[in-house]
Amino acid sequence: MTIRDALLNGRRRPKRRGVGATPASRGDGYEFAELRAYGAGDDARRIDWAASARSGELQTRVLLEETALTIASIVDTSASMNVGRARALARAADEALRAWRASATADDRYIAIGAGRAEAFDLVTSLSRARRLLPRGAALLVIGDWYDLASVDALEVVMLGTRLDCTALVARDPWHDDLPLAGFVRLRGAEGGRRRVFIGARERGNYREAVALRERAVRAQLGGAGWRTGILAEQDGAASLRAAFGVRA
Amino acid sequence: MTLAHPWTAAAGAAIIALCAAFVRRAHRRANGRAFAYSNLEFFDAAARPRTWIVPALDALWLLSFAGVAIAAARPHLALSAPASNSSVIVCIDTSGSMASTDVVPTRAAAAASAARAFIAASPASVKIGIVAFSQTAIVLAPPTDDRAAASAALARLPAPNGPTAIGDALESAAGLFPPFGVHAIVLITDGVSNAGRDPTAIVSTLAAQHIPIFGIGVGTRTGDRIARTGERATLDEAALRGYAHSTGGSYAQADSGETLRAAMRRLGRTTTEARRDVDCALAFALAGASGLCLAFLIASAVGTHP
Repeated sequence: MTIRDALLNGRRRPKRRGVGATPASRGDGYEFAELRAYGAGDDARRIDWAASARSGELQTRVLLEETALTIASIVDTSASMNVGRARALARAADEALRAWRASATADDRYIAIGAGRAEAFDLVTSLSRARRLLPRGAALLVIGDWYDLASVDALEVVMLGTRLDCTALVARDPWHDDLPLAGFVRLRGAEGGRRRVFIGARERGNYREAVALRERAVRAQLGGAGWRTGILAEQDGAASLRAAFGVRA
Repeated sequence: MTLAHPWTAAAGAAIIALCAAFVRRAHRRANGRAFAYSNLEFFDAAARPRTWIVPALDALWLLSFAGVAIAAARPHLALSAPASNSSVIVCIDTSGSMASTDVVPTRAAAAASAARAFIAASPASVKIGIVAFSQTAIVLAPPTDDRAAASAALARLPAPNGPTAIGDALESAAGLFPPFGVHAIVLITDGVSNAGRDPTAIVSTLAAQHIPIFGIGVGTRTGDRIARTGERATLDEAALRGYAHSTGGSYAQADSGETLRAAMRRLGRTTTEARRDVDCALAFALAGASGLCLAFLIASAVGTHP
């Protein structure tokens, strides 16, 4: 299974609706989805006579609508992604983005949403743009460290999760397992600022807990809004994306 | 604190300033190799680093360097310490006005009690003499380091009677002091000098001999009627303050037995204190060197990030 298959499966997941209702994702395509009992109002041309003969009652063939996917991406390009243990998180994000783009076919439409050339990356603006630009049902991948999630309107996140097939890759803190700092340490913020602090066992413990807590909180918030979530590991961005979709290499 | 070689201190301060500038420059260079972190605000909230440690170590460095620089300037401290070979004469007014009861039980009894408190609070090395005065001055005890004898002399205080001869009392006290040592007079009185010699001349002599007068005015400021004569017992605070100030002593007014005893206890500890000039260069040098060693050890032991 590919990432695209996972998107299609998610999109075409049969929904139990009232007999005769036409699901939005199903129409006059050629790809068979399922058989279901005939209901009043069903097109007689869709009756599967062989299956009806076998089961003893009329069966209607449900066909999937053949449409190109709209695939979109938002990648956090702020300086905070330029940190990492062995390499910058931004490189893993690039790998994940390439894998995401590779999942699109020639018929699919790809939209990259992000900051303009003169603009700094802003998660709030990017998500707002995605909501305005993307058609219902489009697949959106957002890669970032999500430090700004608190400043995003919770309703916006829910609306995106309802309208689109949203996936969030949350960049894992490179020092998630342990902070490799001890004693008097100079810190330089990727987005500005400097500190000289003392780091002892207590600080390292605090840090481990807080990082794990933040990661869980971000994933819980996005997951609660109907987003698919995964972790962007510094070592391999493409594998991180596949893992988020439950796809093997 | 005074510095024997202030220019050395100035040079030390300049050296410290240079060192600070050097350290600042080194810090700026080190900032280039600082540990890059994505979001410092989150780091602060997550790790909750103890913010006092870094400034504390910086302060230790700075204070230690300052200690060494001050040591080089040979600092001297003027410390107060009980003087050796010191004598205090306590002059107690026994004039008729001391029978007043505005200080419970009477001014005379409160003065005797306060004198005992003074004797108890004085360092053992201080010799104490007792002079009682009214019409004339009577030496009840010459200066002695025998506390029992001094206290016993207080039991022989005459009953309150007669005028107030402050000048005679001061003259008698001045005559009791040994030729050498630190001397002081504690004057406990409630009235205006109205008999004997003029105190002003004696006070000038005492000032010339560097013998301070510590005056204690006994009684309330509104005064009280004297039982036998019916006169109002007043307090000449201006005169007493003048005696004290012109001889380098001090004046206090006590309108109750407790405040009188407290004032006398305080005087007992301080009347014979002498200012001693102590060279504390070694202490500063040791403190500075210890601080430097400690700061170096802490910085080395704690280290920096790998």
